[in-house]
Formats: sequence, structure tokens, C-alpha cells
Amino acid sequence: MRRADVVAATVLLAVAALYYQQSFFVVRGFATDRLGPTFVPRLLAGALAVLALTLLARALGGRSDPTPPPAARIEVLLTILALLVGYAVVMPKLGFLLATPGFLAAVLAALGIREPLAVVGAAVGMTAILYLAFGRLLGVLLPTSPFGRV
Amino acid sequence: MLANFLLGAQVALRPDALLMTLLGVAWGILGGALPGISGSIAMALLLPFTFGMDPAVALMMLAGVYVGAMYGGSITAVLISTPGTPGSAITVVDGYALHQRGESGKALGVSLVTGTVGGIAGVCILVAFAIPLSRVALLFGPPEYFAFGVFGLALISSFVGRDLVKGGISAVLGLMLATVGTDPFSGTPRFTFGSVDLVGGVAVAAGMIGLFAVSEIFYQVAEGVDWERVRGRYATKLPSLRELWRLRVATLIGIVFGTIEGLLPGGGGAIASFMAYNEAKRWSKHPEEFGRGSLEGVAAPETANNVVTATALIPLLTFGIPGSNSAAILLAGMMLHGLQPGPALFERTPQVVYGLFVGLLVANLFMLGLGLLAVRPSIALVNVRRPFLLAGILGLVLVGAYSIKNSMVEVWVVLATGAVGYLMRRYGYNVLAMVLGFVLGFMVEANLRRSLLISLGDPWVFFTRPISAVLLALAVLTFLWPLLRRARETRRAALAG
Repeated sequence: MRRADVVAATVLLAVAALYYQQSFFVVRGFATDRLGPTFVPRLLAGALAVLALTLLARALGGRSDPTPPPAARIEVLLTILALLVGYAVVMPKLGFLLATPGFLAAVLAALGIREPLAVVGAAVGMTAILYLAFGRLLGVLLPTSPFGRV
Repeated sequence: MLANFLLGAQVALRPDALLMTLLGVAWGILGGALPGISGSIAMALLLPFTFGMDPAVALMMLAGVYVGAMYGGSITAVLISTPGTPGSAITVVDGYALHQRGESGKALGVSLVTGTVGGIAGVCILVAFAIPLSRVALLFGPPEYFAFGVFGLALISSFVGRDLVKGGISAVLGLMLATVGTDPFSGTPRFTFGSVDLVGGVAVAAGMIGLFAVSEIFYQVAEGVDWERVRGRYATKLPSLRELWRLRVATLIGIVFGTIEGLLPGGGGAIASFMAYNEAKRWSKHPEEFGRGSLEGVAAPETANNVVTATALIPLLTFGIPGSNSAAILLAGMMLHGLQPGPALFERTPQVVYGLFVGLLVANLFMLGLGLLAVRPSIALVNVRRPFLLAGILGLVLVGAYSIKNSMVEVWVVLATGAVGYLMRRYGYNVLAMVLGFVLGFMVEANLRRSLLISLGDPWVFFTRPISAVLLALAVLTFLWPLLRRARETRRAALAG
């Protein structure tokens, strides 16, 4: 896992640096304790940096496991990720009942279901069950569309 | 006490009380099985319906929800790798592994039976020792809570396997995630990047849904799992009596840790289940099966979880201090009916207190019955073609995440933690260590700072108080034990090779 560990260690060092830098934006209020709100976060940033450096040293020293082969269906995963991000952006605007069947149908198509009737039926059916369980039975205020309660 | 118990039984065994308890348990199982709907939310939704009820019946119904939700959360933990509560996070490890091996019925059966045993044992402990045990709870101050949290974090060394560096990174990332939100002392926001939605912190439920369920979906999508091969292979066969009898040590361990954590307000079952799992592994004749589908690995945390449902009522009933979110809703239910928790409650309204105790016993038996009925339909739901299952789980966890706070922020948290969880699994990091850090982070930091505030900055406060000192010593031992064992095995292998 040599190359993967080098990349991971670099990313983790960046995360530790960003986290440490952000701790300077935490306002220390009047009513606080001796350690204050930044002590533990800075300790954690330091710990992450030390661990990331250890990982880097291990990888550069050739003591890491080999990098695993690429994922077999990475393109399907990227499609699903894009659909998820799209759904999270669109759902609050379009409403749950309009956005969800389209999203689920697209996910099913991306996962290789080719029968249109099965795709549409499952997408609409799952949406209806989720709406009844969460929206009706449990009273969750699901996002509505610009056209009203739909 | 026997007279009071009989008085409570007269109330709890009335037909209307039995019906309401049954409805409460059924509602709890449904609520617990839906990601994002915790036991406390399911209880809160029923609270308005209890206004016109007899106080004892109302409390029994709410307690039924509490008991049912614990099992409901385990169904999703086993079948779709989505823990309903932080307490069932560790159940995912072996429960889901058993399910993937096709032994879904056994995993659910063990969870149900040991959960029922834990629940009933918890009630017996509650009835017999509520007052004396409540005094033990008073011995716990911030240094003890801090030490207890550190003890929990020390378990990481036994979960991370051979790579301590990657395990450490995973745990630190979880601890960092726990610092997002309002600072427990100054009230100022930390690491919210200006987002008002993050001021309340990252919801533990959202983090767990992402790290466990969504990362598993990503893994199955990306890593070329043969979907046709796994279709329809999940068996409904329940564990045999002999298999259940072999779990007695793990179950006992669960009872001990569940009792301890239930006494401590704010515990909620997570530390107990992690500790019970760790100890069950240490005492097991087959520790190598843990993490690969061990029935003991399901039994210990599920027992601990369910013991907490009863023992968390000890600080609630004796001092009015709720030990968990669900206990807080129960407290609200008591106050709605004009009941004031405290020692006087036992003397003034024994029919309510002991009715609740008997109601809890009845609720556990109802949970066993309803749970057995739910095993087949639950497994049938996941025995469909894999793309339909994955799409259904995605829809379920997204709407579940949204329902945590009626906000899209949790949906984004689920997606982000899902992606991080997938990368962690792929490159050998430890998701469980991250969850443990995330769940315990706030408790450890808040009590560290509170302790130093009380001691005027003197760190010796952790070592001069006996309980805290013992817990810290146990934490050191717990942390070092797996490392020493691994080093010894490596040395033996080197000598043999």
C-alpha cells in the first residue's frame, strides 16, 4: 500500500494543518475553563500529524503493504456518487415526492436493471413506502415541492 | 417489596395495560428499525397520546417503546449494517458478518434472545438494588466519567488489528469529528465553518449511518461482489438451544457492563456494549471468530444494550437524573402525569413504580414474541435482487438521515462519512475505531475540562480519587493487553519459523 499510504499521509497532514489553523478562529468566551475550547482540538491536530508522519515514514521506508488493485466497478460507484450529490441538491427544491422516484430509478438503472417496468414500479413503490412511514406515520416534515404538498 | 410487586402486577397485567405495552413495543421495533428514528424519538412521538391514560399504563407504554426500539435497531444493524443506536454499533461487526455468511436468522435470534435475557436481568437488578446502586452512581463525578471514557477509548487497541498507526488515525478522526459544534463550556461554536446547521454538532446517528451503511453500499457497488451469487441465501433458521447455552458467559459479561453503564447518567449503552464485546472476546474459547461472525460477538453487546434499558432507570427513579435520551422522555412522561422522581416516589405511588417494573418484564416478553414474528419478514425483505436492495437501503438511509433534525445537513454528513468510510475500508483503516472516538469524544473532553475546573487545574485529581485511578489503570491494561499478546504471538511464530 506504498503509494496509497503516501497519498493518505499527505491528505491527513493537510487535514491536521487545516484543523489546527481553524482552531485560531474559535472565540474564547468569558465564561470558560482553564484548558479552553482549543486545547483538545490542538492536541488532536498534533496527534494526527504525528500519526500521519509515521505512516509517511513507513511508506517511504518500504514497510507498507502493497496498494490494492483498483475497484472493479469504480465507474458505477462514481455514477452513484454523482446521483447522490444531485439528489441532495435537488430534493429540497423539487420536494421529496418528485425527486425521490427519479433518483431511485436512476440508481436502479446505474446498478444494471434494464426492465423499465421494474425500474419505475420499484422506484415509485419505494418512494410511497418511505413517504408513508416517515412522512405520514412518524410525522417527519419532508421537503415539499414548489407546487404545494406534493 | 413483594406486596408492592404484587400491587404493580395488578396494574401491569390489566388488559388495557397489556395492550398499550404491546403497542408500545411494536411501535418501538418499527421506530428502532428505521434509521434516524431513535428510541427517544419514537417515545416522544407517542408522548401526546398518553395524556388521558392512567400514569402507570402511560409509563409502561413508553417503556415498551424503549425496549422495542433497542431490538429494532439491532435488526438493521444485522441485516443492512445500519446500527439504530450507538449501542448497537458493535453489533454490526459480527451480526452483519453472520448475515453475509447466510446465517441471518441465527444473528437475529441471538440478538433477540440475549436481548430479552439482558432486559429481564436488568429489571431484576432494578427491582432488587435500585436504592443501594443509586448510591454507587453518586460516587461518579467528572474525573470518574473522564476515566470511564478513556477506558472506552482504550478498547481501540483490541479493535484495530495489526496496524496500530491506521487504527490511531481512525480514532483521532472520530475524536476530531466530535469537536464540531458548540463548545461545552464557553458555548462558542467550533469548526462549524460558519454553518448554523453545524452549531448543534454532527449527529452521531448520521455519522454511523454513513460510516457503516453507506460505506457498505459503496463497497458492494465498487468491489465487484457477485450479486446473483448472494441472492436469496439468507437463511431464517434460528439458533438452537445448545448454541444459545454456549453464549452464557458472553451474556453474563453483557449483564455486568450493562448494569455499570446504566447507573451512569449520560452513558446510553455505547460504552457498555463495546466493553462487553471486548471482554467476551477475551474470555471466549474462540476469540479468532470475533469480527468474522461470532455469535458471542452479537450476544455480549446486545445483552449489555438491553440491560441498560432497565438499569438507566435507577438514576432516573431515585434522583430524577435521566441516564439516556429515552430515559429523559420517560422523565417527561412522569412529569406530565404529576409524578416527581425520587425516593418518595417508591413510597407514595408504589403501584406506578412497581407497575413500571412489571411492565418492563412484560415488554421484554412481548419483544421476544414480536421479534420472533419479525425475523422471517425482515429477512425476506433483504432476500431480493441486490440492486433493488441497495437502492432501497439508499432511499431508507437518506430519508432517515434527513429525519434526524429535519435538515439536509445530516444527508450531506451521511454522504461525506460514507465516502470516507469506503476509503477507510479499502485502504485498511478501522471504521469501528473512528465510531468509538466519535461517540466518546464529547464525553471525554467535557469531563476532562470539568475535572480540571473543579480541581483548580490539578491533574492529580484523576489519580487521587480511587474509582478514577482504578479505571485509568484498567484503561492502560486494556490498551496494552492486545499489543502484548500480539507481540508474544509474533515472537512465538518467529521462533517456530
